[in-house]
Amino acid sequence: MSSSKFKRNYYGYLFITPFIIGFLIFGLYPVYNTLALSFTDTTLMTKNADFVGLKNFERLFADDVFLNAVKNTWLIWILNFIPQMGIAMLLSVWFTNTRLKIKGIGVWRALFFLPNLLVPASVAALFFAFFSFYGPVNQFMVSFGFLTEAMHYLQSVPVTRSLVVFIQWWMWFGQTVIIVMAGMTSIPVSLYEAAMVDGATSTQMFRRITLPLLKPILIYVFVTSLVGGMQMFDIPFLLTDGRGSPNASIQTNNILMYMKFASSKGHIGAASSVGVLIFIMTSICALGIFYFLGERDNDADDKPKRNWFSKKNAER
Amino acid sequence: MFNNYRINTYIMRFFIYLVLIILLAVTIIPIWLLIVNATRSTTEIQQGLSILPSTHLIDNYKILLGKGLDLPRGFANSLFLAVTSTVVTVYFSMLTAYGIVAYEFNGKKLFSNFIVLLVMIPMQLSIIGFYQYMSKLGLTDNYAALILPLIANAGAVFFGKQYFESMIMQDLIDAARIDGASELGIFHLVMMPLAIPGAATMGIFAFVASWNNFFNAFILISSLEKYTLPMLVQTLRGDVYRTEFGAIYLGLAATIVPIIIIYAFFSRYIVSGIAIGALKE
Repeated sequence: MSSSKFKRNYYGYLFITPFIIGFLIFGLYPVYNTLALSFTDTTLMTKNADFVGLKNFERLFADDVFLNAVKNTWLIWILNFIPQMGIAMLLSVWFTNTRLKIKGIGVWRALFFLPNLLVPASVAALFFAFFSFYGPVNQFMVSFGFLTEAMHYLQSVPVTRSLVVFIQWWMWFGQTVIIVMAGMTSIPVSLYEAAMVDGATSTQMFRRITLPLLKPILIYVFVTSLVGGMQMFDIPFLLTDGRGSPNASIQTNNILMYMKFASSKGHIGAASSVGVLIFIMTSICALGIFYFLGERDNDADDKPKRNWFSKKNAER
Repeated sequence: MFNNYRINTYIMRFFIYLVLIILLAVTIIPIWLLIVNATRSTTEIQQGLSILPSTHLIDNYKILLGKGLDLPRGFANSLFLAVTSTVVTVYFSMLTAYGIVAYEFNGKKLFSNFIVLLVMIPMQLSIIGFYQYMSKLGLTDNYAALILPLIANAGAVFFGKQYFESMIMQDLIDAARIDGASELGIFHLVMMPLAIPGAATMGIFAFVASWNNFFNAFILISSLEKYTLPMLVQTLRGDVYRTEFGAIYLGLAATIVPIIIIYAFFSRYIVSGIAIGALKE
């Protein structure tokens, strides 16, 4: 019996084999290939390529085009992530507050989430149309007297950057609300009741109960948003000319990588070096956040957490 | 004192609903204007704003097709790609997730940690190496290059794992074994039918991800007749359409309305599905 059980567990390998094969062929090998290409001067036009060592990387740091793209990406991501998180925390606190009894929570959440599902390429083109010279925003601003004459919004660096920040926020805040709120509702009410008996204020309860127990969720949101944000492409690419205009102010990492790829020579060696650097930067940041903020605490908290789960079950 | 407390609650509630309504307006107005403008003629659009639809939907459609934009074909391509991607993602991810949850094998823990790691790593950044590799295999400009990688979709496996872990299934598996079912048979005939709600949620996400995907398709697909809707959107920005605002809005609306319709039916699954991925970790 025990030997058949042992044999049966080999089926686990059978079930995960397609994933592993798929990963090796379509996941791991492309990563290796990108890394290998980044040390060569391969182009799409020529057949033979030479090993050039770190030359591609040196060239990226020779002028500030690459650093500018990295700076833009971080700036746009941080500026949209902070209000995203702020609003998510605020709405979650309101929605889960038993005294306020806000109505239609499910409907609000569902509607706030809608922009996240829309084709990003279309969203970018839509805002391009709205903010074009003859677009509705100019019509509105002029006819209501906010502006004396129509302006070229997408030629202004601050306006264009803010617009990308706004669109990113617009598309993602609803999702953050849903996740943070799910985290808050999973905190057992009994903890708050006990704190209330002890005379805790709502600020104290938020800081001592909500925030610590919400931490794993906040880290999850932080990491996934960062990984996505570092690969931002569709919105800034399609909002202006595909080169991050005006003044390369919305030229992100991925746009730069694409520009090198789609340049007249198709210099995929150089494009790969951009990909490799962003890959390393993002992975280090994401894993760093995950392990330094999350895992260390999780290990220490392992025991109380189990108790917490069993308590929750016992209550039911 | 008590009265004061109640008044405070009322003021607070009023303030909260005000904030919610403002947020709702910010969320919905751009989408609403898009749909309205898709039904208005270019002259009407240039004359001013309107929040009510007009009657030029068909005209705009004719202009759009007249300028050579093959919207129906783009639609069919996107649909084909999204459906195939969904089937591949759901089948292989559920298979992998079930394997992790149902069996005790050496390296199981390692493998599931590895899946979490993959979720956090920006695999998409290897697209250049992927492109060159696919062109060597002759798979560029081929949908296979967009579909086959989904066999190893870490995010979906993670979701499926959470789902199977929430199901109590050991008794069912044992019962099926006593009835003489094979291990693969148990997965296909017993567990998959039971896991349909989870598979459906995963499927919706896979569908939307494929439908919205621009970057990968943009890099890998080159011939015009294989363009997906997001890629056609990019051509809509070109000079040919510069003055045809109504047609542009209609083209954009055509890409997002199907998603809005799907959402209207499945919003509950989608909203609850988002939290599943986050809650356990």
